[in-house]
Amino acid sequence: MTLDQTNAADIMMGDVVRLEDVLSRDSVTSVCKSFFGLFGLPVRVISHEGDLLADVHRDQPLCNYLNTLGNGERECARTVGVVRDLEHDVQTIVHPCFTGAVYRIVPLEYQGRPIGRFIVGPYVPAETTQPPESLLSIDESIDAATACAHFDTMPRVREHVAEEISAHLKGVLELLLFSGHRAQLASTMQVASVRENYRELAEKNEALKSSFEELKKLDQLKSTFLATVSHELRSPLTSIIGYTEMLESGAAGALSNGQAEFLGTIRNKADQLLGLISSLLDLGRLEAKSLDLKHEPIDPHALLSDLAATIVPTANRRNVSLDIQIGDETPKLWGDPVRLSQILLNLADNAVKFSDEGGMVTIRAEQGEIDAAGASGLGAALFTASRPAVLLTVQDGGMGIAEHNLSKIFDAFYQVDAGTTRVHGGAGLGLSIVKQLVDGHGGKIEVTSTLGEGTIFSVTLPAADEDA
Amino acid sequence: MAGDPRFEMQIDFAAKELTVKLVYYGPALSGKTSNLRAIHWLGTSNACGDLMTLETKNDRTLFFDMLPITVSSGSGLKVRLKLFTVPGQVMHNATRRLVLQGTDGVAFIADSQRSEADANRESFLNLKCNLEENAIDPERIPIIIQFNKRDMASIRTDEELELIAQRSREPIYKAVATRGYGVMQTLRGLIRDTWTKLEEDHELEEKFGISPIHFMTEVEAKLKHDPGPRGR
Repeated sequence: MTLDQTNAADIMMGDVVRLEDVLSRDSVTSVCKSFFGLFGLPVRVISHEGDLLADVHRDQPLCNYLNTLGNGERECARTVGVVRDLEHDVQTIVHPCFTGAVYRIVPLEYQGRPIGRFIVGPYVPAETTQPPESLLSIDESIDAATACAHFDTMPRVREHVAEEISAHLKGVLELLLFSGHRAQLASTMQVASVRENYRELAEKNEALKSSFEELKKLDQLKSTFLATVSHELRSPLTSIIGYTEMLESGAAGALSNGQAEFLGTIRNKADQLLGLISSLLDLGRLEAKSLDLKHEPIDPHALLSDLAATIVPTANRRNVSLDIQIGDETPKLWGDPVRLSQILLNLADNAVKFSDEGGMVTIRAEQGEIDAAGASGLGAALFTASRPAVLLTVQDGGMGIAEHNLSKIFDAFYQVDAGTTRVHGGAGLGLSIVKQLVDGHGGKIEVTSTLGEGTIFSVTLPAADEDA
Repeated sequence: MAGDPRFEMQIDFAAKELTVKLVYYGPALSGKTSNLRAIHWLGTSNACGDLMTLETKNDRTLFFDMLPITVSSGSGLKVRLKLFTVPGQVMHNATRRLVLQGTDGVAFIADSQRSEADANRESFLNLKCNLEENAIDPERIPIIIQFNKRDMASIRTDEELELIAQRSREPIYKAVATRGYGVMQTLRGLIRDTWTKLEEDHELEEKFGISPIHFMTEVEAKLKHDPGPRGR
């Protein structure tokens, strides 16, 4: 049975069925042996193409004897040749031999087409009691007594019984053929279906891949657009801020109280706008991977005290107390001081913003480690052991974040409270930038939160080498 | 694939033999295998061969069923009709598409129950799509529709089917396949439409000297048993 690229439709149409494709020689031979054992009749199975698939017989003494006689041997070979090459029809043929024996040739058909035949015999019809004249006169040297004695040992069966058992054998072989064909079709279809499914999946994957590439291009376009626009927005804004500062400093004459207040508001709002634009620019650069990060050792004490100085006024305004802790063994960090401050400021600012009046924000630095293997420790044996790191945590006692929102808070422009009645401001860029900056430092950021109890952001960043 | 001999009716001029492929399509559990079983059971044994079913243990068709029917006409032409079913379940689409390769005519077995209207529509669209994938023009291949399960409750009424038949391009047949009603009318209708199309495309009358009417008379004679009351 071949299961190559053969067209499934061809096989299903049943036109390629050959006896030897669906029946093994061994199984046909074993059926024929059993037939021979039961009835003592020789049987041969021949395919439509003329291949002998099974041949079960015992040499007959009569045939052996005749083969020692010149004419006997010739006539015997001729008869066997005729029987083998007999033009097979849909009907059974009973072909006589000069010995008085007969050959019964039974055609095998499948789905209305000839597919082979089997030959039962030679046997002597039980109705024939005497050896015919054609046997006794086959050769002048024949010994009639020997021939008669051998004739009597030939297998014998009544013609109607031979007909019945041949019909039975035909039924068995055709059943085998049907089952074999069924199995062949099933396996062919199995393979063809798998191939067809694979082809379909491969096509779909290809389509997905190209739409993914398309999306990636669009995303790139968006980042470039953001970066360009932010840059273009910043230039005029710098002028606005500069001239506002000049006016405030009295460069254009003294100001009334009202004018000074208004200018203060203008400058405040312009600063906010500049902050937003800077964030957009950062995000654009981060996404385009074009933000250069410096790498230098940073003292955690200096980092946190700078942070505290910056955040205290805001915290005071909201009546939120700050608790800053630095563990004894905390190593120096390795990274860009400006960007690390930006990370911490963003997280601390959020924590203050989302704390209740009178609440507390805890900022902690301690020794940590970054596992070089995956989170599950998969393949840990193949990786270097964990690297020294600094764990920075920012904890608030605010409203907390629902679990289904946790996975989205690092997406750009995402706001947990995106309604129009938002209590808290911001463009939703802070955490996205924080995440990108942390990634850019080879660190990781995690968040845990309990609704109503507060949120903890944990940032693990690589530590500087000991001798740094 | 047009022009590829694999995808056309198989003609063996030397043996004066035609092989025609007919496919029973339709949604899961609409009665495609039941149609073939009924044909096998009602058809005369000298025409119908053995029904081959390839199914899972809960009687769902896995790959296809196949029933060969041989019609030897008086003019010496031997026509082998091969009836196939497809697996109806949605997930077996690749197999359905394979079975549909090179088909000459399609009997779409619809479920008459109102609740199955969507499944019928979906399966028909799937048939159209799979024919196109096999480079067979759905506008040109003979398709007939059988509304099966006429003995069930909550079915589309005969009057509704009458209306459907009036505006339908495809001939509509009614059947209760599990009891054999209407299956032979459906089969004869399918053979008639397919033969008409084959005659148009291949001029069989000129090549083999057998007219469509003559051929259908032979088919009627071969498949005469049918206790079903009404078909069309």
